Amino acid sequence: MERLSKSSARWKSRARFAVMMLLVVSLGAGFSSCSSQKKAAKKKAEQELAEKKSKAKADLMAIINDDGRMTLEEKEFKLASVKRMNLDDQEIRDLITQAEEKLAAERSVIERRKEEERLKREQEERERELREGGPYRAINNSLDAVANAGDVSSANMRIREALTAFAGDDVPVLILISSDGGIKDYDRPTTIRKYLEFVKDQKKSPNKVLNAVYDASGKIRELELIKK
Amino acid sequence: MRKIFGLTAALLLTFSASVMAQDDISPARKQAIDSLALEKVRDLSKYISIIGNKDTPWSEANRVIERTLELFAEGSLMGVSSINREEVNYYGIREYLERLMALNYDKVTISWYNIQYISDLERQPDGRYVGVITIFQRFEGTTKEGLRYVDVTKKDVTVYVERKTTQISGRIIGFWDVLLGDIRVTETKPG
Repeated sequence: MERLSKSSARWKSRARFAVMMLLVVSLGAGFSSCSSQKKAAKKKAEQELAEKKSKAKADLMAIINDDGRMTLEEKEFKLASVKRMNLDDQEIRDLITQAEEKLAAERSVIERRKEEERLKREQEERERELREGGPYRAINNSLDAVANAGDVSSANMRIREALTAFAGDDVPVLILISSDGGIKDYDRPTTIRKYLEFVKDQKKSPNKVLNAVYDASGKIRELELIKK
Repeated sequence: MRKIFGLTAALLLTFSASVMAQDDISPARKQAIDSLALEKVRDLSKYISIIGNKDTPWSEANRVIERTLELFAEGSLMGVSSINREEVNYYGIREYLERLMALNYDKVTISWYNIQYISDLERQPDGRYVGVITIFQRFEGTTKEGLRYVDVTKKDVTVYVERKTTQISGRIIGFWDVLLGDIRVTETKPG
């Protein structure tokens, strides 16, 4: 009986030892697996960072070397995306500076062009206003009235009315036919009387006032016309 | 001797190149003078229809004759044909216009159409540009008795364009002087 109880105690002690050993082994295995996972994660993060940097550099080089295939907005979007990554890399910081300088230059060219176009539009608008409205509206209307007169006597009456705005029948009339490269070309100069008669005969008023020079009494002493 | 010849040739080449450069006009300016010359022919067409029209008052017709003469180079001739005869008669412009005004019809209608260049304006050695514009003229005359004569004539108008300058209010103005030359009949058929 005593022998039986001793043998059972020995078995229990062995079993306890075996369980402890199993625990030690499993703990050791678990520790080793956790450490390799961390290493893998670190490696993955490093790889991702390297990929991000490589893409950032490629995007920045594309902005710097762009020959006009991308719009300014596209380039600005790409640059902003790269900057948002906050990558700690000197080469990338230098490329960002270069890209910013390039975009600033492009932006200033575009803004200058827009400004030039705006000024040109304003200038054209002013010239149009001068030609079609403002001080020349009355003269243009009187030329049209001669052209649209129903018969010779009413056309002659319109001519007499139109002539009251001029210093005399012989006021020179210049008709600009071309203005190219700073060279102005005119038709053969005529006089206001002859021009009004031409309008009457042709029953058309093909030109409009480009410029008029007035004398001290407010009468026109020189008229410059251009094709409508 | 060879050196002198070479030098002279080089100078001549330089001179002619500079003269050519001065004479060259841009396509935009050339187009402007092409259009101007065509416009003058269209103006002439209108003047001829006014002068020929029996409803035009005599004083008006005479005034328009003077304006018409201003379109032509001195001594220019106008060809007149008829389907009733072979030959073409040529008259000075004033005589032609006065004959047109006095035509023995009760009603005259003249219209020009298909006005276009058949020979582009080309620069000549004297600096003038010369071209030829062709037109078709439809003439219709009706007598008091109601007899109608209608023909269609194809005519070639020689056009001279010359760059000139004048002074206006103390400024030098450059202008293109367009002058019409002879108008030759090339074809006449019944209308």
